[in-house]
Amino acid sequence: TSSVLSKDKDKSAASKDSTHEEAPKKQEDGAETPKQKLLDMIGNMKVEVTYRRKLQQLKASESKKQAMKKLEGLDSEGSVPQGITEDTQRGKPLNPELVKAASAVASSLPRNKKQMESELLAQLRRHEETTDKQKKGGTINIRNVISEMTVKRQSPAQRGARISGRISLQLDEDGQRRRHERSSAQSVDYRSLKVGKRLNIFTKASTEPEHALKTVSSPTIWDLEFAKEVAAVTAQPPRNGFEEMIQWTKEGILWEFPIDNEVGMEDDAEFHEHIFLEKHLEGFPKEGPIRHFMELVICGLSKNPYLSVKQKVEHIEWFQNYFEEKKELLQEI
Amino acid sequence: MAATALCWALRVVQQVLPSPCPRQVRSYYVDWRMLRDVKRRKMAYEHADERLRINAIRKNSILPKELQEVADKEIAALPRDSCPVRIRNRCVLTSRPRGVKRRWRLSRIVFRHFADHAQMSGVQRAMW
Repeated sequence: TSSVLSKDKDKSAASKDSTHEEAPKKQEDGAETPKQKLLDMIGNMKVEVTYRRKLQQLKASESKKQAMKKLEGLDSEGSVPQGITEDTQRGKPLNPELVKAASAVASSLPRNKKQMESELLAQLRRHEETTDKQKKGGTINIRNVISEMTVKRQSPAQRGARISGRISLQLDEDGQRRRHERSSAQSVDYRSLKVGKRLNIFTKASTEPEHALKTVSSPTIWDLEFAKEVAAVTAQPPRNGFEEMIQWTKEGILWEFPIDNEVGMEDDAEFHEHIFLEKHLEGFPKEGPIRHFMELVICGLSKNPYLSVKQKVEHIEWFQNYFEEKKELLQEI
Repeated sequence: MAATALCWALRVVQQVLPSPCPRQVRSYYVDWRMLRDVKRRKMAYEHADERLRINAIRKNSILPKELQEVADKEIAALPRDSCPVRIRNRCVLTSRPRGVKRRWRLSRIVFRHFADHAQMSGVQRAMW
């Protein structure tokens, strides 16, 4: 989760930066998914690398951080050739493998290569900073807070008294207030504020992505069978009509209410793709009865709300194939 | 004794597991006519698009007549069960070909039976 959080922070920070305004637009254009996959991979790689380094270099990191902050304050814009040389000059030298990977990624993408490289390296630097900060300070405060919290339990007598107190007149409210004070005082007394155990409910954020990477891809048949067995054993017969209806809805026998008329119909196409079908007519001759016929076909298809765009395109392509097969016959005429 | 028992066991096995190569026709439709109707419906669904398109070429005043004649021959060459005209709306429960109400897909006798036993939702004996 911390890697995801840091990535979100990076993206927000990147969007704020003036030179990095192009990055979100580039992502939107076309190379979004491969670039994001590459960035994810680089981000994951980088988390492991920084964890190891943390174990090695504890003392030097603080001084290096200060140096980096100063350098970043000087170079907010990050022009092209300086960015590459400054990677080596900065306090915490980036892993040369990561630098090579970043340059490979930037060269593979068809856009402005040097700029992409500098952006990627800047993001890597910011990753390292945020992970260092998190590992030092952030998580401990939350743990302290949660370990001191407990579930407040009411005795049934108190609960009954409270409910009756709500219904009764004002005369009882004084009694209720005194009881509240007593309970709150008692809760403060037997638990002082400074005594606290480490509950260790939450594991360190850095260990999670390692485990997640390992155990993703292995759904064997035996696992599936086991899962089916477990589901069959734990599936109790429905206790009432509501549970029966829930089961039917899951199986697909019963529709989901409120009824959605477009269930199963996933037409993501815009209206203009349904109506302006002339671009599919490029394979046909421009004059003659066939063109006339196909224009009528297209007119009819554009008014048809029941077919998806794929089906309409298939329709037109079928006609194209048909007329191509009959070309000899048509040329005789 | 043992031989006859073995033969009987084999026959039972053969009945339960008929030859696996062709598709089993064993299903729980009411009778064979209903099964044939089911087959015709499936074929009509498969060839519906083609038939629509070839008919669009045939029923046309723009395209040349030679092309339409060729289309005529093509549509005649399609399998006979693929035309929707051959489908008969039979009763779903008794496979009765006549007296079937389309809304419930039931024959009049079955419909009346269920309606009298109050098993048809929203159906009441008419009285006015």
